[in-house]
Amino acid sequence: MTDEGLYWFVIDIANGFLTGTMIGGYYAIISIGLALTFGVMRLVNLAHGDMLIVAAYLASVILSILPVSPFASLIVVAPAMFALGYLLQRLLLNRVSVQAMEAKGLSPNFGLMSPILVTFGLGIFIAHGLLEMFSSDARQMRNSLAFTAIRLSEDLNISLLRLIFFVIAVVILVLLQLFLRRTHIGRAIRAASDDARIAPLMGISTAHVYGVALGISLAIAGAAGVMIGMLRSFQPFDGPQFLLIAFGVVIIGGLGSIAGSLVGGVLLGIVQVLAGTYFGPSAQLVAGYMLILLVLAFRPQGLFSR
Amino acid sequence: MSTSAPEDNRSGFFAAAARGGKRPLLTVSNLSAYYGELRALFDVSFQVAAGEVLSIIGANGAGKSTLLKSIVGMMNRGKAAHIEGIIDFRGRRLDRLGTEKIVEAGVTMVPEGRRLFARLSVEDNLFAGAFAARCRQNAPKRLKEVYDLFPRLAARREQIVSQMSGGEQQMVAIGRALMSSPDVILFDELSLGLGPAVVDDVYRNVRRINERGVTCIVIEQDMKRALAVADHVLVMLEGRVVLEGRAGELSETQVTAAYFGSSVERRRA
Repeated sequence: MTDEGLYWFVIDIANGFLTGTMIGGYYAIISIGLALTFGVMRLVNLAHGDMLIVAAYLASVILSILPVSPFASLIVVAPAMFALGYLLQRLLLNRVSVQAMEAKGLSPNFGLMSPILVTFGLGIFIAHGLLEMFSSDARQMRNSLAFTAIRLSEDLNISLLRLIFFVIAVVILVLLQLFLRRTHIGRAIRAASDDARIAPLMGISTAHVYGVALGISLAIAGAAGVMIGMLRSFQPFDGPQFLLIAFGVVIIGGLGSIAGSLVGGVLLGIVQVLAGTYFGPSAQLVAGYMLILLVLAFRPQGLFSR
Repeated sequence: MSTSAPEDNRSGFFAAAARGGKRPLLTVSNLSAYYGELRALFDVSFQVAAGEVLSIIGANGAGKSTLLKSIVGMMNRGKAAHIEGIIDFRGRRLDRLGTEKIVEAGVTMVPEGRRLFARLSVEDNLFAGAFAARCRQNAPKRLKEVYDLFPRLAARREQIVSQMSGGEQQMVAIGRALMSSPDVILFDELSLGLGPAVVDDVYRNVRRINERGVTCIVIEQDMKRALAVADHVLVMLEGRVVLEGRAGELSETQVTAAYFGSSVERRRA
């Protein structure tokens, strides 16, 4: 290898790791809500991707009325998404849970299957609802940061926006961890996740705790939706592609682990960027799925699962 | 329920309650329980006075655990399990409340097999026990009291409970129940899976908790131990109460006969 060849090799690898890591933070925020609701109530929320898009549209509507920074829209988007999640769980998903099925005299297995079907249908409903309201034109949130780069060396840059997203991602994950460890409701969420039948003996209402869990899941999805809208354009039917990313991250990192989501996101990001660099853009997706398959084959519980 | 006072040299809440004259803390009337179509309890009635220890004795399948689960609302599961009858606690109908409301009202249970939150630390398990709104403010104070009662837990507060011995886990389970500042604690099969020395220790702690004014209802397989700890005894057979009385007034023979269903002195509560 010539000196110049070696130089570019090092630059490519460094770029892969840097950009991949930045993307990983963004992936973690897209995914953490899915991991949280699965960890707490074994809910596989197939509408998770569509919820990200709902948040993106909500933010873009707010910005069209009030021309503020997209980040400021989170003041409304996050609480609105929390409320949506809480109500969705209390009014709809708690009615098809394991406990609800048992109370109806049905097999608890229905309680595992039904929420998957319900959220699948919900996802379709949301996508078509968005299409009805906003048509299929792609939207985006304009912002001055998208094309700003930080120059690390002559040939190595990172996007300022991605760096900000990474920092926000780490802050959100740390706050979530503190919330789950230090607050009464956080402990109740972990207790209900550990043993939902015994949690009520602690005075814990699982219906409420599950509502809070989906609320937090969607509030974080709100942040992810705003990030999506700042990075790229989005359309009503974009949800499933983000759901796939979220599944990938959760499989790699391991379910129910917050640190695992970050590591899973970062690994997926690095592999995709490197594959894109060496084999062209179309290799990005393939390499991502290869990584997911490898993890499933050799460590199906995920890298961080206990 | 017998009205004669047993010998009692303790003071405080307990003594006042045992002397009678106080209205019962918990009254169960004509309680029946069903798992789907299967009936597990048949018109069970009894009363518990404030501050006493009630032992429920009976063979496997006699309905002891079902009775405790009914009191804490864990049999209110629609078609899967339901109860009929009245459970009155200080004038409140527990039979109509969900488990979390019953705990909020002051009745809790140490479940069979401990059922700790296995992935949580000792302290997180204890704090989880103080989730009810009326307990949250006092949680740090209650935590200190639990650590005073079980100093061994204080030294291991950060440990994940699944790595602890059975006896230590039982301490966590009892401590967790105490965190909700209950007036009544139901203990389901306290000694299950524990060595004899550890069981002695567990029962000493039940006594200490009782001396602080907490009413205790205990399910225990070992008849001698059940009689030793109790002020008041209930013997169950096939979902019915077949013998009830003050611990000091019942002979072991009487209890054994009722336990095996050969009693001539069957007596409905």
